[in-house]
Amino acid sequence: MSEPREPLPIWFFVGVILLVYGGLVILGDATNLREIRLSHLHPGLWWGGGMVVFGALFTALGLWTHRQG
Amino acid sequence: MGTTQRLVELGVLDWAIVALYFVAIIGIGLYLKAFTKTGDDFFLAGRRNSSWVAGLAFLSANLGALEILGWTGGTMKYGMFVSHFYWVGAIPAMLFLGLYMMPFYYSSKIHSVPGYLKLRFDERTRLLNAFAFAIMTLLMSGINLYLMALVFNVLLGWDWHVSMWVSAAAIGCYITLGGLLSAIFTEIVQFFLIWAGLFLVSILGLVEIGGPAHLMDQLPATMTSLWATTGDPSQNAMGVTWLGLAMGLGFVLSFGYWTTDFLVVQRAFSSKDLRSARLTPITASFFKMALPFIVVVAGLVAYKLGMDPASGFHLPEDPQNPGKVWNDAALPLLIARYYPTGLVGLGITALLAGFMAGQAGNVSAFNTVWTYDIYRVIFRPKASDAHLLWVGRVTTVVGILLSVATAYVAMQFNTIMDYIQAIFSWVNAPLFATMLLGMFWKRTTSAGAFWGLLAGMLVSFAIFLGFRFGWISGDLARWLTFAENPSDMSRNLWQASWAWVVCFLVTIGISLVTPPKPDSELVGLVKGLTPAVDDGKVAWWGRPAFWAALSLAVLVALNVWFW
Repeated sequence: MSEPREPLPIWFFVGVILLVYGGLVILGDATNLREIRLSHLHPGLWWGGGMVVFGALFTALGLWTHRQG
Repeated sequence: MGTTQRLVELGVLDWAIVALYFVAIIGIGLYLKAFTKTGDDFFLAGRRNSSWVAGLAFLSANLGALEILGWTGGTMKYGMFVSHFYWVGAIPAMLFLGLYMMPFYYSSKIHSVPGYLKLRFDERTRLLNAFAFAIMTLLMSGINLYLMALVFNVLLGWDWHVSMWVSAAAIGCYITLGGLLSAIFTEIVQFFLIWAGLFLVSILGLVEIGGPAHLMDQLPATMTSLWATTGDPSQNAMGVTWLGLAMGLGFVLSFGYWTTDFLVVQRAFSSKDLRSARLTPITASFFKMALPFIVVVAGLVAYKLGMDPASGFHLPEDPQNPGKVWNDAALPLLIARYYPTGLVGLGITALLAGFMAGQAGNVSAFNTVWTYDIYRVIFRPKASDAHLLWVGRVTTVVGILLSVATAYVAMQFNTIMDYIQAIFSWVNAPLFATMLLGMFWKRTTSAGAFWGLLAGMLVSFAIFLGFRFGWISGDLARWLTFAENPSDMSRNLWQASWAWVVCFLVTIGISLVTPPKPDSELVGLVKGLTPAVDDGKVAWWGRPAFWAALSLAVLVALNVWFW
C-alpha cells in the first residue's frame, strides 16, 4: 500500500479538535457543579455549540481540500 | 519551592480535555513523520504551505501563553497602552517584511536568517548572528519552561518537575518526528484553542460589567487612551513619550523582532511560493490586531473588578516578588470566575498549548540554525541531506534537554529573568540595522556589517548592565532616555534604539572605507540588483500590496478610534 503524497490539511485536525472539545464543553456545562458568575447564561452550551458547528465545517473543509488533491 | 495554593480547580472533564490535547499533538507528530523525509521537509515543512497556514503559524509562534498572561496583567498597570505592542509595535514591521524584505529572503532559498548574512556578507557575520540567536533561543526556551511550571504550580498545584518534563517530552516527541511541519500544525491548533478558550472571558466580563461603553466610562482616562497622554511621560503609567513609543517600540524593537527573528520568519520560509511568503506576515497582521480584544479587554475587566471591593475579585501575591500583587494571575482568575466545568479545562489547555507551542517554536528554530549555520559550517561542510536531517533530530532532543537544564538554573537563580528580558535588544535590534543596510544599500561591506553588528550588540549589553548596576544615572540616564525617571519599559525601548543607531552608523562608517562585494555577487540579495516582483498577472484582491494597504487602514482606524 503506497503512502499518500500530501498530508491531510491542518484544517481537518483543527476541525476534529474543535468538534470533540465543543461536545465536551456542552457536556461540562450541562453537568456543571462549579459556582460561577453568570451561570444562568449557560456559556458552555452556546459556546460549545458554536465550536461544534465550526469544528464540523473545518473537518469537512479539510477532507474536501484533501480529496481535491 | 512548591506551594499548596490553588487558584483554579479542575474536574474530571477538565482533566480529560487537557489529556486529549497531549494525545492530539503527539498523534499529529506520528502522522506527519511519514511526510518528513528530507532536510527541507524537516527544517522548512517541505516549502508547501499556503499563506493562511504560514500566516497563522507566523503569528502563533509569537503568541505564547506568557505574552497573553503577561499583557493581560500588564493592562491592569498600563491600560490600553498595551495595545501599542499589538498595533504600532507590530503591524508596520510585519507589512514591511511582507512587501519589501521577503523577496530577498525567500528568493535566495536560504534555510535561515543567518543564511542570508552568509550570502550577503560573509561567514563570520553569519556565525556571530547564529551563535547569538542559538543562545537567545535556548535561554528563552528554558525560561519559558520554567515560567510554565511556575504558573501551573501556583494556579493548579501541579508539580514543578512533572510539568516541565511532561511538556518537554511531548514537544521533543512531536518535533523530532515531524520537524517544522509538526511545529506549524500544533501552532495553528494553539491559535484556535486560544480563541476558543480565552475570548469568552472578555465577552462574559463585558456582560457582567454592563458593556464596553460602560466599562470605558468607569475607567480613568490614562487607562483608556493610546496617544492622548504621550506628550508628557509623567502623564502615563508606562512613562514614555510618543517619540519613545514610535522610535523604540514602533521602529527598532518591532522591526528588529518581526523582520529578523528567525523564530517567526522561518514560518514564512515554509510557504509554497514567493507570493504566499509575502502574504504570510500580511495575513498574520489582521489576526495580530484582533488580539487586544482578548488580552486588553480582559485586563480592563480585571482592573474594573479590582476597583470594586464587593466584586470578590482579588489578585494573589506574586510568587516571584513577595509582598506585591500578581497581575499575571488576572486571566486565570477570570476563567475561574466565569467558566463552568469543561470550559475551565479548555481555558487551561489554551494556556498550556500557548506555552508548548512557544517552546516548540524555539526548538524548531534552534535546530535549524544549529544544523545549517553552525554544525555544517564548522564541522561538516559537505554533509549529505540525510546526515543533516539526522543532526536536526538529534539537535532537537539536545535542545530540549538544554532547555530543561536552563529551566532548573532559572528556578535556582531568579535574577536570570532580568537578563532575559533585555536579550531581544542585544540580538535583534542591531541585526535589523544590518539587514536594512544589507538589503537596501549595495555599498554595505562585509567588514562594515560584522563590526557594526558587534558594536551594536556590545552597546546594548553595556547600556543594560549600566542601568542594572547603577553605573548609568543622573544626566547620562536622562540623556539616554529623554526622561527624568525612566521606567524599565522606557529603558528597554531606548536601549534597543541606541543599539540600532550605533550598529547603523558603525556599519555605514566602516563600509565607506572598505571594499564592497562586486555587483555580480549581490544579485537577488540587494535592492537595485534584484528583479522587482511583478504582481501584474495577479488579480487585485490577490496582491500583497492590496492586503497590506487594507491592514494599514485598519491600524490607522483603530489608533484614531482609541486615540
